[in-house]
Amino acid sequence: MSTEAADEPGEPATARGSVGVELGRRPLFYAVLGPFWAWLVVRWVHDWVLAPELNVTARETFFPTASLVAAGTTLRGAGAPAPVAGLLDWLAGGMDFVALGVEALPQLAAGAWATIVLTVVSILAGLVLAVPLSVARVYGGRAARYPALAVTELIRGTPLLAQLFVLYFGLGLTQYVREVPGVGVAVLPDTAVVVALIGFTINSAAYQSEYIRSALLSVDSGQLTAGRAIGLSKVDAIRHVVLPQGLRFAIPGWSNELVYLIKYSSLASFITVRELFFRAEEIGNATYRFVEVYTVAALFYIALVISASAVMSYVEGRVAIPGLGGKGRR
Amino acid sequence: MSLLRFEDVRQSYGAEEVLRGISFEMDRGDVEVVIGPSGSGKSTMLRCVNRLTEVDAGTIYLDGEAITTPDTDVNDLRRRVGMVFQDFNLFAHRTALGNVTLGLEEVLDYPREEARTEAMAQLERVGLADQADSYPAELSGGQKQRVGIARALAMDPELMLFDEPTSALDPELIGDVLAVMRDLAEEGMTMLCVTHEMGFARSAASTVSFLDGGQVVERGPPARLFESPANERTGEFLERLTSLHGGEQ
Ligand SMILES: Nc1ncnc2c1ncn2[C@@H]1O[C@H](COP(=O)(O)OP(=O)(O)O)[C@@H](O)[C@H]1O
Ligand SMILES: [Mg+2]
Repeated sequence: MSTEAADEPGEPATARGSVGVELGRRPLFYAVLGPFWAWLVVRWVHDWVLAPELNVTARETFFPTASLVAAGTTLRGAGAPAPVAGLLDWLAGGMDFVALGVEALPQLAAGAWATIVLTVVSILAGLVLAVPLSVARVYGGRAARYPALAVTELIRGTPLLAQLFVLYFGLGLTQYVREVPGVGVAVLPDTAVVVALIGFTINSAAYQSEYIRSALLSVDSGQLTAGRAIGLSKVDAIRHVVLPQGLRFAIPGWSNELVYLIKYSSLASFITVRELFFRAEEIGNATYRFVEVYTVAALFYIALVISASAVMSYVEGRVAIPGLGGKGRR
Repeated sequence: MSLLRFEDVRQSYGAEEVLRGISFEMDRGDVEVVIGPSGSGKSTMLRCVNRLTEVDAGTIYLDGEAITTPDTDVNDLRRRVGMVFQDFNLFAHRTALGNVTLGLEEVLDYPREEARTEAMAQLERVGLADQADSYPAELSGGQKQRVGIARALAMDPELMLFDEPTSALDPELIGDVLAVMRDLAEEGMTMLCVTHEMGFARSAASTVSFLDGGQVVERGPPARLFESPANERTGEFLERLTSLHGGEQ
């Protein structure tokens, strides 16, 4: 009777925002995202599988810009009368802008790979930590509840950048990471990446545990009772009855966390991880064309965010159960 | 020997004493119907039997064995005592079939296929084999409650507890659930039922208890208790019940 109404989870109070979640469902975006991903994948395969001997900065773009640059030069040198010359100048500037953006693409593609790896690995590893953390918060005794609370609040209460600095400079985690097998070779080329992964995982675990905690609280308490009443132990009842429902309720919050992590992963550039933002900055420093290259990098981030939202909408639809949250099936 | 025995059971929430010395016993195959005003402690009494609520004093025996002791295996006790809830509490993320198989697989360690077969048999028993793949939200209240009964029966319990199983249902859906409960009673299941369905009590109950203020005020065969209640409070309560329900069905 009251179960349907009572199960509806509210927007988690801890949400960092909901940017991009709406955009992910429009077909128009697939028309842009499809080619973007096709190009990105071809670029990665080309750069790391087909032509790995070149370093990234030496890589040619797939879209030659010479004619564009030449056209710009011609326009500027045309010697037209004053008002027209201004217009031509402006056009030429646009062409330079596009040309530089296009030339930056190979490096940004390499950076996007790092950004994606950072995000995907951290959110998944964070989830693995967040589930026990949130269960401890909701169902644990004092001995489990308070430490979990302390860890969560410590991490949510301090800046992510500070956390990265503590791991990287403070604890000098790189020294230990270097000892781990696999680091330094192709799989994990960079010790800083591993430090960033650890930092993001811990940070994301804290945020995710908050989303999951409030989702668990919105599971009707009668569910756990019913599980216990057939003889399930508390742990089994949580695992088989409460978590499958709670985790579904947590998907919208979780999607926000994913979107945030994509953007927050740019902080890894401060500890020398060569992700998307780092690459853009590198190009900017070399060319002094910061506006151009940051604009293109921003487009990359937007594409990643919308893609992530689309994936999460798909996942949410796939795991939807009638009467249990999910879209359009209530 | 009696299957279930309460011996001066007391229970309090804080300062409020909810059960104030309950004693009674029922034999295997008995159907005990408990009636009483809201807040009289009926639910608490049932929940003490499967230890969802802990008693403060007194002892409950199941099949001669004290089950309110600290060393009772609570999970095993709950396996042996089925419970049906007022608001169903079906596992919302599992189909009707999945609701029944969970206990079979995770508590009784049935292999998947055998759990499925057994669960289908239980759904058949409550007339819902054709709804096996429906989720709770897709079932009517009466169907939900019958799945709830099948879920409890699948654990092969020695005793079934029913806590107002029909009071959340629309009147036209009550009959199906009561029919299943009648069948169960006829098959010889021992049942402790909190219900105000007097038709069911009359036809299926071996004994009716009237609970008020945490005490069994009066207890007896349904015909005797309903026709000539010995206690004044029982009479008043029955009168109110009859006028509320508009008589018998
Ligand atoms: N979990 C609880 N905490 C505190 N008081 C409770 C709790 N459950 C029940 N009570 C109180 O115990 C009394 C008996 O409740 P209950 O057994 O549910 O009665 P009934 O089922 O007969 O309506 C009521 O006064 C109720 O307020
Ligand atoms: Mg009650």
